[in-house]
Amino acid sequence: MDLQRINVKFFVADADGVALTDFIHIFNSWIQASDGEYYDIADYNHVHAGPGVLLIAHEANISMDATGNRLGLLYNRKQPLGGGNIEKLYVVFRAALEFCHRIENETALKGRIRFRGNEALFLINDRLLAPNTEEGFRAVRPDLEKLAGTLYGGTEFALDHNHDPKQRFSVVMKTRRAFDVETLLRNLGSPRARLVEVVQHSSGSSETTR
Amino acid sequence: MTKVESWKEKLANLMPPDLAREIDIFETQIELRKQGKIEEKVFAETRLRRGVYGQRYDNGQRHDGVRVQKLRLPSGGLTKGPETVWDAPGMMRIKIPFGGLTPEQMEVLAGLSEEYADGISHVTTRQDIQYHFVHIDDTPSLMRRLAAVGITTREACGNVVRNVTACPLAGVCQDEVFDVTPYAKACSKFLLGHPDTQDFGRKFKIAFSGCKQHPCGLTSMHDMGAIAKKKVVSGEERRGFEFYVGGGLGAVPYRAQLFNDFLPQEELLPIAQAVARVFARLGEKRNRARARVKFLVANLGIDEFRRMVLEEREKLAADPRWTDYLSRLHEWTEKPLKPGVSSNGSERPAGFDAWYATNVYHQKQPGYVVATVTLPLGDITADQLRALADIAPRFVKDTVRTTVEQNIVFRWASEADLPDLYRALCQIGLAEPNAGTIVDVTACPGTDTCKLGIASSRGLAKKLRAHLSEASLQLDEAVKGLRIKVSGCFNSCGQHHIADIGFYGISRNVNGYTVPHFQVMLGGKFKDNAGAYGLPVGAVPSKRIPEVVTLVTDRYVRERQRGESFQDFISRIGKKEVKAMLDGLTKVPPHDVDPSYYSDWGDPREFTLTDMGVGECAGEVVSQAQFTLAASERELFEAQIYFDSGDFKKAALTAYGAMVQAAQGLVKTQHYDISDNEEAILGEFQQRFCDTQLFYDKYAGRQFADYLFKARDALKSRGEVGEDLALRRLQEAQLFIDAAHNCYKKLTELESADRASVAGTASPGEG
Repeated sequence: MDLQRINVKFFVADADGVALTDFIHIFNSWIQASDGEYYDIADYNHVHAGPGVLLIAHEANISMDATGNRLGLLYNRKQPLGGGNIEKLYVVFRAALEFCHRIENETALKGRIRFRGNEALFLINDRLLAPNTEEGFRAVRPDLEKLAGTLYGGTEFALDHNHDPKQRFSVVMKTRRAFDVETLLRNLGSPRARLVEVVQHSSGSSETTR
Repeated sequence: MTKVESWKEKLANLMPPDLAREIDIFETQIELRKQGKIEEKVFAETRLRRGVYGQRYDNGQRHDGVRVQKLRLPSGGLTKGPETVWDAPGMMRIKIPFGGLTPEQMEVLAGLSEEYADGISHVTTRQDIQYHFVHIDDTPSLMRRLAAVGITTREACGNVVRNVTACPLAGVCQDEVFDVTPYAKACSKFLLGHPDTQDFGRKFKIAFSGCKQHPCGLTSMHDMGAIAKKKVVSGEERRGFEFYVGGGLGAVPYRAQLFNDFLPQEELLPIAQAVARVFARLGEKRNRARARVKFLVANLGIDEFRRMVLEEREKLAADPRWTDYLSRLHEWTEKPLKPGVSSNGSERPAGFDAWYATNVYHQKQPGYVVATVTLPLGDITADQLRALADIAPRFVKDTVRTTVEQNIVFRWASEADLPDLYRALCQIGLAEPNAGTIVDVTACPGTDTCKLGIASSRGLAKKLRAHLSEASLQLDEAVKGLRIKVSGCFNSCGQHHIADIGFYGISRNVNGYTVPHFQVMLGGKFKDNAGAYGLPVGAVPSKRIPEVVTLVTDRYVRERQRGESFQDFISRIGKKEVKAMLDGLTKVPPHDVDPSYYSDWGDPREFTLTDMGVGECAGEVVSQAQFTLAASERELFEAQIYFDSGDFKKAALTAYGAMVQAAQGLVKTQHYDISDNEEAILGEFQQRFCDTQLFYDKYAGRQFADYLFKARDALKSRGEVGEDLALRRLQEAQLFIDAAHNCYKKLTELESADRASVAGTASPGEG
């Protein structure tokens, strides 16, 4: 399976008094600080357990998403990615974590929001490419295990595939040990170092700790 | 590794062949546009007619509150219409005739909103569903997945017959004369893609209502409205319609005029066709602002319009589709899932009573009710829509409809099931009460996504919903039943004209700044099928509109006379008094005192009109000749594909077909009703364009015309078609189509010159 349209969501651990509407202002400041990268903001805080507040861009949408009644940062990659699956996973997870980091350090929020590093939702937003089947899970599992192994620094983790055929293909990645966003970013390493590691992985390096 | 099929392959056996073919054609048109082989204006109208609409900022720039940013979109100059960047996300409108949805369709709609849009399905004021932030390259797949469950997006936008709406209570309403659903369905099907509805100067909207007194159908504000009626003729009770034409909202609202107080059901479709033909022939084409049928009816007068339509009706060749469906009306009768059982005193969950009071309607069928699912601002998430698709078969099977008040109704629920239905809705956050009350504010997309939006209609609606929801339990009953509707601009997609309290977005220059305002409209009538239009009473800064609502409704409660309606109350106290009442709210404090006035609801940016674009509401006026010429290009493209695959015979045949189509396009400029018969087209083309030398090239003479006739003769001789011959035919077809385009250009120039000369004669003093 050629992974594309990868989505990753990191859940909020604590959002002391932070409202979804605060992100309209935050995303607007991101737009002002960018140079045409972001297209628009869409605000759906009025619907129950919905897509929340989205920052729309050509390459990927970023949102503070409340789907499933769980607030989190959702990185929705829309444009195709090159390279092997493991490389794509690193790119998308790193991008998602960098946005989490940016939000945690947002001056306007004064440190009131923290993400749970020990849980992530991985999703393929394409029912044609990735039908939600056991076969699909088997195909993706080795790459997800490699990624989780690195992300959680060798700590034991679990991959939980959502079998509901009406839902998009998704897997929850979880570990018991608490992680903060900075540690996860460090574990993923710099994009350059990661590329070297990826090449090693693809040439048949060691199995993950699971 | 298994090969990934395309949706086209995967759904090949599930799509109706005609829909599948149409989508293939659209996909080819996308490809041709990318190759620069379709003019952007023609492509824009083509995509609009497929429901693929533009969205705010699609000209590639956006004001961020401080400066205008050029958006990073890698389109490389490719456009999908005038000033519309290819990679800019757009809106997809999906037609839902009379709002009817099945669980299977809801499930598919939910999934598509996740994969191609922003996870939200938006129910519009015309019972459509819209997605936002959709990339045009995704639209063929999206359309195929809809087609596989019987939904088309064809003619959802553009200068065509839009979604045919109908009362969502049709068939179960206590006051209806009869169920209008099968008529709405037949009308929608008959006019979809009909040759007589393809050459309008503007859109055309149709609505059906089962009764005259209730608002559900809103027939008075439609280009064509039909209200169910029965009449005894020669001792026999017959079905028909009170038939109206020429209504419409927009900047200048018109009430529809009575065309016939009893149009027999057999005449519904032929008269609709005749109306379409008169509108296509005589309706304004150049000035979009005056191109709706309401202007034509007003200009001609209803009597003359009626005379012309009836004359046109007499000329129509009989079409079996006019009446075929009438013998199958009984098939439409809905069958409930369960026996209708009245509420048996079972336990009522918390909140149930408030929901029951506003969201439940007792059907004419004993024991059954219609339950309204209130959607905030018409929005529903993918998970909620999917859950509704699961809930429906438990309680009502497939009797679900969208409403023009942007909600969803479950019809045929057994009353005894209501507590369980309510619990199921609570679990997915869709058990909000207040459907059809003052809290249930309707709004168009406004500045959130619409290119024409001036002020934030959704932002205001959201604020008003919150404001009124808090107070809903304390609201006086007379106020509770009022309707609020908000539009982002004067075009009234939010239907502000027919609200008790309506607003539309405007701007005012204050202290050197542009400040968002709303024009306040009072006294419109939602009842009686949009019985009256409200009057503008003054502009108020956007941020003070909630106070307007409080002020006006409080005074109504305080001063209304016994049984006095809101409309009568406003009319009694008078516009001057209402204006005086609002005066205190019109002042805008200086920017440094309160900058909040200078931004809109839900938008932190300093307010600006910079982002307004060119509307696509009407689309470009593209003639049938232009469409046919564009279709000939597409056919030639397909011929090229056959050639590349080695099927030379089919390539030559298709290339010839492309030439015939181009010839037909030219003939249409003079003979609109030319049939699709090849010999008829060639005969007319010979007579009108060859004998007259109109098609002749300045240097090549009739050489290009000869390509067409030689190709026909060669096909008749049934000789072998090798690679060389096929290639030559392709090249000749390209030259012929180019010549057809040149000829069309020459014809339009001649027409413009004629017009200028007539204008010059008419007003010699000008210029």
